[in-house]
Amino acid sequence: METADRQTSPGGRALDGVARVRLWGLLTAATASQARARVQRALDQGHAHVLVDLQGVTRIDAVGIAVLLDARRLLQARTGGTLVLCANRIVCRALRTTRTIAAFGLTAGTGM
Amino acid sequence: MDTPSGSHPRPAERGVVISRGTRVYLRTMTPQDLDHLSTWVDDPFLERMVGSEFMHAYKHVWDKAPAFYEAILTDPTQVALVVEAYQGWTKPVGVVRLFNIHLLEGYAFLETIIADLRAMKRGFGIEAGKLISYYGVDVLGLRRLEAKVYEYNVLSMNSLRRNGFRQEGILRQAGFDGERYWDLMIFGILRDEIEAVRRRDKVYLPLDPSEGNGREPT
Repeated sequence: METADRQTSPGGRALDGVARVRLWGLLTAATASQARARVQRALDQGHAHVLVDLQGVTRIDAVGIAVLLDARRLLQARTGGTLVLCANRIVCRALRTTRTIAAFGLTAGTGM
Repeated sequence: MDTPSGSHPRPAERGVVISRGTRVYLRTMTPQDLDHLSTWVDDPFLERMVGSEFMHAYKHVWDKAPAFYEAILTDPTQVALVVEAYQGWTKPVGVVRLFNIHLLEGYAFLETIIADLRAMKRGFGIEAGKLISYYGVDVLGLRRLEAKVYEYNVLSMNSLRRNGFRQEGILRQAGFDGERYWDLMIFGILRDEIEAVRRRDKVYLPLDPSEGNGREPT
């Protein structure tokens, strides 16, 4: 999975003015610093819109959601842009449980 | 361990260190921690002093089942971390957690459990509470923390006050220990007050990004 990700998305890539970053596996307190760094690199590309592909996330906790909320806040502050999530069922359930789902733009994923 | 970074974190069985103080550090839970938790939940003194829903759920709802570990890790409304002391301690000394986390509103509840009787009155609980408070502000973006304490738990009340919490009210006879009703004391602290404590205790530097997942300041 690590190799595949590096081949297709080396820390996020731009597609038609949209920076794209893919996170997978655990998005929890144990891994959040790495996830935060990956999202940060995508934000640093300066695009107004960022798509975060979360379809491969197997577990997300409050810290993982905080990473996404933080990215959304930074993006809005810097460019006024939007953070769009491509989420699976696990992520959607966590966003609903924490009542944060309305804070994000969502695009079709397996959990939609 | 599958990680979104593609890096290689420390082995899951040891947990990942989240924050370090001078006496204790906080790490993520591992399945092996349930062995310790299983002992702690049978301690009547702890049950009376803390009245933890976390421990109650493990013992009475989950019947000490291993699945409790997964339930905790997949609960996006709480962060439970294990408290480890540095010198001379071979086992965890307790658990500290933020629960009922409201990320958008920016508040959560704090619970600190120092379970090893030998570890009490050594400042471990104060430091653990301090570290997770900083973590709540830095990483979760919280702006308010709240804690409830039984009126007879003077040690916990003093610990909260040492960490800058203020008593905000009393829930009259809201606690029951099996024999009689007791008042619950409500404590709270705001982000500015947490930052004031951090400035006062200069030893607690900003979290190392490699371990603490610190937020970018705006």
